[in-house]
Amino acid sequence: MFQKRAETPIENRDYSTFYLVFSGLLLLATLWAVVDEVFVRRPWKGYQSEYDRLSVEKLRAQYNDAMSAVDSSTAADLRSRLAEARQKLDSKEYHDAVRRLDGLQMDLADATRAWRFARSNSDALYYQYSVTLHDGHPSADLKKKLDDLDVEIAADAKKMDDINGSIDSANAMIGGFKDTADSLDAALTALYADATKLETKIASVEQSPLEIKQVLLNDYDKSNFGEVKARVDRCQTCHLGATDKNMADAPQPFTTHSHPELLKIHNPEKYGCTPCHRGQGHALTVGEAHGEADPFWETPILRGMDVYASCSACHTSRQALKGAAYFSKARQTFLESGCYGCHDIDGYKNLPKIGPQLNSIPAKLQPEWVYRWIRDPKNYNPHTRMPNFKLSEKEAGAVTAYLFSIGKESTFSLDRPKGFYAGGSASLGKEHVENFGCKACHVIGDDVRVRNARGSSYDIAPELTHAAGKLNPDWIFDWIKNPRHYNPTTKMPSLRLSDQEARDIVAYLMTMRDDRPKEAFNVDINSEENIALGKTVIRQYGCFGCHDIKGMETEGKVSVDLSDFGRKLVEQMDFGDTKVKHTWADWVGNKLRNSRVFQTDRIVQRMPVFALSDTEISMIRSVLLSFRADNPQAKYRVEVTDSQTDLDAGEKLTIRYGCINCHQLEERGGYFAAILDDPTKGPPLLTIEGGKVQEPWLQSFLKSPSPIRPWLKVRMPTFSLTEDEINTVTKYFLALSGQSLEMRDYASFTPDPHLLADGTKLFNTFQCIKCHQLGGAQIDPKSVAPNLELARNRLKPEWVISWLRNPEAIQPGTMMPGYFPDGQSPLPDVLKGDATLQMRAIRDHLFTLGKKKN
Amino acid sequence: MKKVHSVLFAAAAMLLFSPDAHAGDISGKISFKGRAPEIPQIKMNADKQCLAMHPKPVNSEDVVINSNGTLKNVFIYIKSGLNKKYDVPTTPVVLAQQGCQYRPHVFGIQAGQPLEIVNDDPLLHNIHALPKNSPQFNNAQPIKGMKMTKKFDKPEVMVKFKCEVHNWMNCYAGVVDNPFYAVSDDKGDFTIKGIPNGTYTIEVWHEKYGTQDMTVTVGDKGAKADFTYVGK
Repeated sequence: MFQKRAETPIENRDYSTFYLVFSGLLLLATLWAVVDEVFVRRPWKGYQSEYDRLSVEKLRAQYNDAMSAVDSSTAADLRSRLAEARQKLDSKEYHDAVRRLDGLQMDLADATRAWRFARSNSDALYYQYSVTLHDGHPSADLKKKLDDLDVEIAADAKKMDDINGSIDSANAMIGGFKDTADSLDAALTALYADATKLETKIASVEQSPLEIKQVLLNDYDKSNFGEVKARVDRCQTCHLGATDKNMADAPQPFTTHSHPELLKIHNPEKYGCTPCHRGQGHALTVGEAHGEADPFWETPILRGMDVYASCSACHTSRQALKGAAYFSKARQTFLESGCYGCHDIDGYKNLPKIGPQLNSIPAKLQPEWVYRWIRDPKNYNPHTRMPNFKLSEKEAGAVTAYLFSIGKESTFSLDRPKGFYAGGSASLGKEHVENFGCKACHVIGDDVRVRNARGSSYDIAPELTHAAGKLNPDWIFDWIKNPRHYNPTTKMPSLRLSDQEARDIVAYLMTMRDDRPKEAFNVDINSEENIALGKTVIRQYGCFGCHDIKGMETEGKVSVDLSDFGRKLVEQMDFGDTKVKHTWADWVGNKLRNSRVFQTDRIVQRMPVFALSDTEISMIRSVLLSFRADNPQAKYRVEVTDSQTDLDAGEKLTIRYGCINCHQLEERGGYFAAILDDPTKGPPLLTIEGGKVQEPWLQSFLKSPSPIRPWLKVRMPTFSLTEDEINTVTKYFLALSGQSLEMRDYASFTPDPHLLADGTKLFNTFQCIKCHQLGGAQIDPKSVAPNLELARNRLKPEWVISWLRNPEAIQPGTMMPGYFPDGQSPLPDVLKGDATLQMRAIRDHLFTLGKKKN
Repeated sequence: MKKVHSVLFAAAAMLLFSPDAHAGDISGKISFKGRAPEIPQIKMNADKQCLAMHPKPVNSEDVVINSNGTLKNVFIYIKSGLNKKYDVPTTPVVLAQQGCQYRPHVFGIQAGQPLEIVNDDPLLHNIHALPKNSPQFNNAQPIKGMKMTKKFDKPEVMVKFKCEVHNWMNCYAGVVDNPFYAVSDDKGDFTIKGIPNGTYTIEVWHEKYGTQDMTVTVGDKGAKADFTYVGK
C-alpha cells in the first residue's frame, strides 16, 4: 500500500485517512489522560467518596434512631399547642389587643403633649408673675391662673400614668401570646435537637468537597545532609475516620484509631500520622504512602507493636511511658538483656554490668561446673540470661583456666571457718525461702509463679533448682549472710539472716541436687598455654561486658555502637549466604534469634546466641528501631527536665535491683503478689511513696530497713545502696508524686494544741487501734496496720490528711477504710462537723504519739 | 366494702403494672450429697467486743448444711434468656452487721439498686466491697446505727465483701440486671416469682462448691429446678 502511495504524485496524495486516524488517537489519548488523571491516579478520591457514603449511612441510621427516640405523643402535643398558640396570634382577641395598644399609645402621645403645653404655659405665666412680684405688686390674678395650671398639670400627669398602666397590661397580654408560642417553639426544637444536629452533620458531609487533607510540619525533620526540611503528611486524605467514633467497626482506611486516648494528646490535625507511624507522608497511593512499595523510601510504615518505637523519638528521657506499656516492657527487656555490655548506646552508658564479678570463683565454683556452664549455660539453667558463645571445648577449657588462674590471686576468704554452715534444717530452710521473699527473684523447683507473672523468658536472678550441683555450702553461707562480702557490687541484698536461718537455708539448698548427665571434663586448668589462650578468648568475645574480670579493666566495648541503629539501611546489612528476606526487620529478627545466622566461611561472628522468646525478639527489635540519633528536631521533643531524668534513673535502678519484683511502681511490677494468698497483704505500692514519707525517714529506711508491716512474712531486704543510689531512689519517688527534693524540717511540725482534745476523741471514736498498733519496738505481729507511733517521723503531715480523706483514691484496694465518705464527717458534733478540721485533729493527735518515750 | 375496694384496686394494679401477661414461678431445692465438710468455728479472739457478743461458739458460714440435708446460701439467678430491660427498684436491699457477722451472708441485688449498709454493733466495722465490674469501696462505720447507701453499676455474680477489722467477716452479693433471683433458705428451698414464659438458663452459685447450670422452660404453671451439690 505504501509502495503504491509512494508512486502517487505528492499533489495527489490524500492525507484525510491519516488525519482521521491520528485525531482519533489523540482524542482517545486525551480521554485516557483525563480518566487517568481524575480517577486512576487519584484512588484517594474513591476512598473519600466511600468514606462520605459510609459516614452518611451511619449518621442517617443515628438520625433515624434519634427521630424514633423522640416521644411522638410529646411531639404531637407540643406541635398542636404551638399551632394553637400561633392561631391565637391570629385571633380577634390578639388583634383587638394590638389595636387597643395602638390606640393607647396615641392617647399617651396626646396626654403627653397636653402635659408639656401646660408646663410651658406654667413657666411663661410664672415669669410674668415673678415680674409683678419683683415690682412689689404681686398679681393675684396671675397667681390664681398659675394654681389652676398646676392642677391641670397634675391631672395630665395622672392621665399619663393611667395610660401607661393600660399599655403595660396590654403589652403583657400580647407578650403572653407571643411567649407561649416562642417557648413551645423552643421546646419543640429542643426535642429534636439531637436529630437536627445529625441532620446538619449529614449536610456538611454531603457538601464536603473531595480534597487532599494535609498537615504540614515545616521544621520537623532533617535531611540526611543535615538540612531542615518540611514534612508533608497526607495520610488523612484516606484515613478519614481516625477521630470519628462512628467508624469503630468500619474497614480500613476508615477505622477509628485504636487508641483514642493517645490521639487526644497527639493531635493528628497538628502532627499528622507519620511522626508515629512513619511511611511516605506526601504520597497518595497506598503502596507508596505506606512506603512499602517504594524500595528507596527509608522509613516504611511501622506495623503492629513496632509503632511504639516512635515514642522515644520525642520522649527521649524515660524508661516507662504511660500509655505505652508494651514499649516500657520492651525497654525493660532490652535493659535486662544487657545489650549495653557489648554495644555503646546513648542512654545506656555507665550502667552497672549485669553479670557477677568473676575474680574469686574458686571460693564458689568447681572448674567442671564452670567449663560446662561456659559451653552451654542454658543446659544448666534454661532461664539464665547468659547467652551461648558457642565456644569449642578447647576455648571453654581455656577460659575456665584463666578464670581460675585469676581466682588464685584473689584475696577473698570466708568470714567463718569451713563447716560453719552445718547444722541447719532443710525443712525450716524451705519455709524461710518461701517466707523471706527469696522467690521474688529466684525460681526454686517447680514454683514458677513469679516468673510467669513477670512474663519474661529469662530470670533476673539464678534459678536455684540445682543449686547443690553448682555451689559449695561454705560459700552459700558466706554469701547469704552478706552478699557484698564476696561481690561488693552485687545487687543481691542481705535479708538480715541469723546464723541459724542461714544454716537452714544452706541445708535446704543442698537438697537441690543436680543429677542430670554432664559433659566430660578433662582440662588442665593450670596449663600456661590454656591460661594465655583463655585471656585471648575473653578479650575477643568481650566477657568483661557483663562481668568484672581481672586483667580486662581497660577493655572497651567489643561491638558496634547502636545509638543510630534504627536508621541503618538494608544496603548496609550483610545477609551472608542466607535466603533471609532483605528487610531491616528480617535481618534484626534473624540476628536476634540466632546471632550467627549470617556467618560465612570468611566472616566470623562472635555475638553470642540468646534464647529470647518471639515476643522478646519483637520487643528488642522495636527498641532498636527506636534508636535514631537526630530525628525529630528538638522543638518537637519532650523537654528533658530534671524530674524526667530522675524518673529515668530511678526506673533503671529499680529494675536493676528487682524492686519491681515485689513492689508495684506505676504500671509495672508487684509480681511477688502471684505467690501470695491475699495480694493486698503483700509489699506496699511504691508509686505513692514520694508524697507519703519524709525523705530523711526514707533514706534511713533504705540504709537499714526496720519492719513497718509486721504482718508481712516477707522481709524488705537491706540492699546496701550507695549514697548516690539512695538519692536516686529518693528523687525518683518524689518525681513520681510530682515533687522534688528540698530541705524540709519535719521536726518543726507542731500539732495544733486547740485540736488535740478533739483529735484524741476522734481517734478513739473511730477506733483506729482496732487495726493499728501503738507500740515502740514491741509490735504485735498479728496487727494488720502500721504502728502509728512511727507516723510522726515517717509520714508527711499533709499526706496524712489526703490519706484520711480518701484512702481508696490513693491506693486502690487498700485495707484502710474511708471514714469521710464524699468528704463528709459522720460526727456532726465534733468541731462542728468540719471534715477537714477533723482530719487535721486526727493527724495532729497522731503526731503526738510516741513522743514521750523519746 | 373498703376491703373489696382495695382488692379490686390491687387486681387492677396488677393488670396494669404486670409487665408480662403470662408468667410463672421457678421453684426448687438445693440438695447436698456426699461427704459433709467439717464446719470450723469462727475464732473471734482478735476482737474481745465481738467475742463477748457470742456466749456460744459460732460456726463458719462458708458451708451451711440444713438439718434436712440441703444447702443454704446458694444464689440462684437467670443467667440468660431474658431480653428485656427491667426497671431498677428504688427500695434498698439491706445488709446488716450484727454480732460481727454480715446479715445476710448471701444476697441478690439489681445493678443500680440501692444497698443500705447498717452497723448494728457498737464497734468499728469496715465494709470493703471487691467488685471487678464496678468501682470498689471501703468505708468505716465506727458508730452503732451508722448507715450508708451504695450501689453497683454493673451486673456481677458474685461480689465479695470483707471487713478488714475482722478477718472472718465476709459475705457475697449477686448483682444482676433483672428482678429474678433468689437465695436458698433454711430448708434448701427457693422460689423466683413472676418470670415471663420462656426458656432460660439458670445458674446456681455456692461460695465453696461453685456453679451449676440448668435450662428451664417456664410456662403459666411455672417450672421446677432442683440442684444437687456433692461434697468431696
